[in-house]
Amino acid sequence: MNNNILLIAAREFRQTAAMKSFWLTLLLLPLALALGPLFAGSLEEDESERVVVMDRSGGQTAQAIEDRFALEGDRHVIGDLSRYVRRHNLEEADPQAPWAQFDRWYTAADVAAFREGGGVDEAIRKIDAVRAAETPEFETHEPAYAFSPADPQIMGLEGDALQDAVDAMLKADGNDQAGGADIVLMIGADYPRDPTVRLWSNEQPSADFVTPLQDVLTADLRQRLLTQQGLSGETALAIQSAAPAISVTTPPPGGGARESMLIRSIVPLALAYILMMSLMLSGSWMLQGSVEERSNKLIESLLACVRPEELMYGKLLGALAVGLSMIAVWLGCAAVAVFFTQGAIADMIRPALEPLTSPVAIIAMIYFFIVGYIAISILFVAVGAMADSMSEAQGYLMPILLGIILPITLLLNSIVAGKDGFLVQLLTWIPFWTPFAVLARLGIGIEVWELIGAGIVLAAFVVLEVIFLGRLFRASLLATGQKPGFRQMMDRLKPTGG
Amino acid sequence: MPVLQVENLVKRFDNFLAVDDLSFSVKEGEIFGFLGGNGAGKTTTLRMMLDIIRPTSGHIEVLGSTPDRRNAAAIGFLPEERGLYSNMKAIDAIVYFGRLKEMDPGDARQHGMELLERFELADRAKSNIGDMSKGMAQKVQLACSLVNRPQLLMLDEPFSGLDPVNQGLLEDEILRASRRGAAVIFSTHVMQHAERLCDRLLLLRRGSKRFEGTLDEARASLPARITATARPQIAAVRGVARADALEDLGDGWTRYDLQLVPGVSAADVLETCTTQAIALRQFEEHRASLHDVFVQMVGDEGVEQ
Repeated sequence: MNNNILLIAAREFRQTAAMKSFWLTLLLLPLALALGPLFAGSLEEDESERVVVMDRSGGQTAQAIEDRFALEGDRHVIGDLSRYVRRHNLEEADPQAPWAQFDRWYTAADVAAFREGGGVDEAIRKIDAVRAAETPEFETHEPAYAFSPADPQIMGLEGDALQDAVDAMLKADGNDQAGGADIVLMIGADYPRDPTVRLWSNEQPSADFVTPLQDVLTADLRQRLLTQQGLSGETALAIQSAAPAISVTTPPPGGGARESMLIRSIVPLALAYILMMSLMLSGSWMLQGSVEERSNKLIESLLACVRPEELMYGKLLGALAVGLSMIAVWLGCAAVAVFFTQGAIADMIRPALEPLTSPVAIIAMIYFFIVGYIAISILFVAVGAMADSMSEAQGYLMPILLGIILPITLLLNSIVAGKDGFLVQLLTWIPFWTPFAVLARLGIGIEVWELIGAGIVLAAFVVLEVIFLGRLFRASLLATGQKPGFRQMMDRLKPTGG
Repeated sequence: MPVLQVENLVKRFDNFLAVDDLSFSVKEGEIFGFLGGNGAGKTTTLRMMLDIIRPTSGHIEVLGSTPDRRNAAAIGFLPEERGLYSNMKAIDAIVYFGRLKEMDPGDARQHGMELLERFELADRAKSNIGDMSKGMAQKVQLACSLVNRPQLLMLDEPFSGLDPVNQGLLEDEILRASRRGAAVIFSTHVMQHAERLCDRLLLLRRGSKRFEGTLDEARASLPARITATARPQIAAVRGVARADALEDLGDGWTRYDLQLVPGVSAADVLETCTTQAIALRQFEEHRASLHDVFVQMVGDEGVEQ
């Protein structure tokens, strides 16, 4: 490659690398990505909601409710254990244990077997016996709901006194103070003759709580009604327990159809997004440099040494180097994050990297990224050659940026929503958006003929840009003082000898 | 072989004729002045020599070939509008331009430092140009144009904006370049510098050449004037075109301003006076200054003495 082009590119790169904004941007994105999950984690509920049940009908119903939630809690633990065992291939810990079975909905019998087998502590002991040192430990979670007995003093309260006592419990909040509660249930003394069960809560109770509660109370009512009709307790229970056996088949974690599509699209979508981000950033830095060259009257000195084309290519190469180095740093940070987090992210990344296993996809990614970078950067170069100040440059740039970014936003949203409709197809063939559309579509699948066709269209577009914007660049370099009108710009696009 | 050869050069911008049928040449070691008022076509001509813009017609030969960046390594150029990267160190800027002119980075740095020392800027070599005074930055830019030891040095209005001390420094550098054999061409509308430096000069008016030659030839192109104190018969001496009485000094003596017929020298008139026994009490020749020549040929717009 021409030595002057490399010299200009190196100077452009050094100038950008000397900017504080470059380093700030370079580090800000990984920092934001690192802090995001931390904040998200801190927002997650990691403590149980405290439930106080006042059973004035004798305590049998409260016990049934508590048992049911204990069952749900254990079912949840078995599910977590099952995913953990499957993710890390630890079935050999106890192949007969319910948590080593992945192909069914865990029934009450499975939960009973789990309890008989020693519960979660015994499961962890068995797993630890076969777990490799680098495999992360299984982490248990607090059950979603913790039940507390009601204060005997409020058991006899009625009317406003009862309401005040419940209000005091809810105000105290279940996690903050002793005697506090998140949910208060009251089963009346006449239950089940009067089947009304009162529920107090500071917030709309979640379906996770109401559905099992409804199940327990419904089953309890039906059991009583069936026995009143003359059925034996066992028969009534058998009728109540009759349920279809649901066989569940799911792909490995991260392998579901929609989930899989989304995960496969992570890298391509991220590339499209990073392409947009780095283009906008490196483009504006390059623009700043070009405006400085014009406003500092440097152009003539430069043009005495280098051809305008060399100056333009050097600037493009410099911008590309800035963009690629930003991407290298960001990808490096992502690799470090994956290495240290392992577990879930590593499992997510595996299918996410699947598109990269195809040579066609790898070539397409590199090609569309680099050629796309040149296609858009050249617009910044042309604007830089025409503008005497940053404010003048902004005047040209704003419509260009809006024109590029808005459709890309729609495009990325469509891909995330799993849509591959007309807009996505259309943008694939319009060169300004081709690189973004193709990169974004690599995850959900794009035909090879489309890749080749769009690649040819993009390359032809870049050639035309180099010809026409190169003329504009050359003609605009020494024309200072007046903002060119539309007609002047059109004139500058025409071939000229001088 | 001339370092620079320009033949029938024409440059037209739309309907504006910027350079009109211009021909001249500059030899090795010669200092060539390019004189003209504002808009005379000096900068346009220099840009065509550098291939920054292309001529409408005509022929330019720089160092034996048509203008091209391949010649950049042998050319030094100081534009009229000056500036450098403000966040670049002085020595880095010089090395950068040296490398664009195909210099080895080590050589560019070494010669760059020599130039900065000569310009008394060695201690500011690692200062950002943005932190320097305008005069300092202009000297750094001069160093950028000299770093490659050019065979052809082109300077566009090099003295504008320089204080007298730095004007002297620039004159020294022009003379130094000429002594080592470089052809130097500089445009100016300051006659003092042209008179002091130029071996030959060219006067441009609205793109066309009005004069090309040495300083003596330029002065000789205007009729000489003589102040003489004599009796009235001096007006009839051969070669005197006109005698204007300036002051009556009594006893028949008058102080005259004599204008001579073109081609007649003051010595011819003095000889005639002597052979014809015309008494003279004062005979003082006034040679035309470059300023006079410039005003006569180009007009007095934009000229500085």
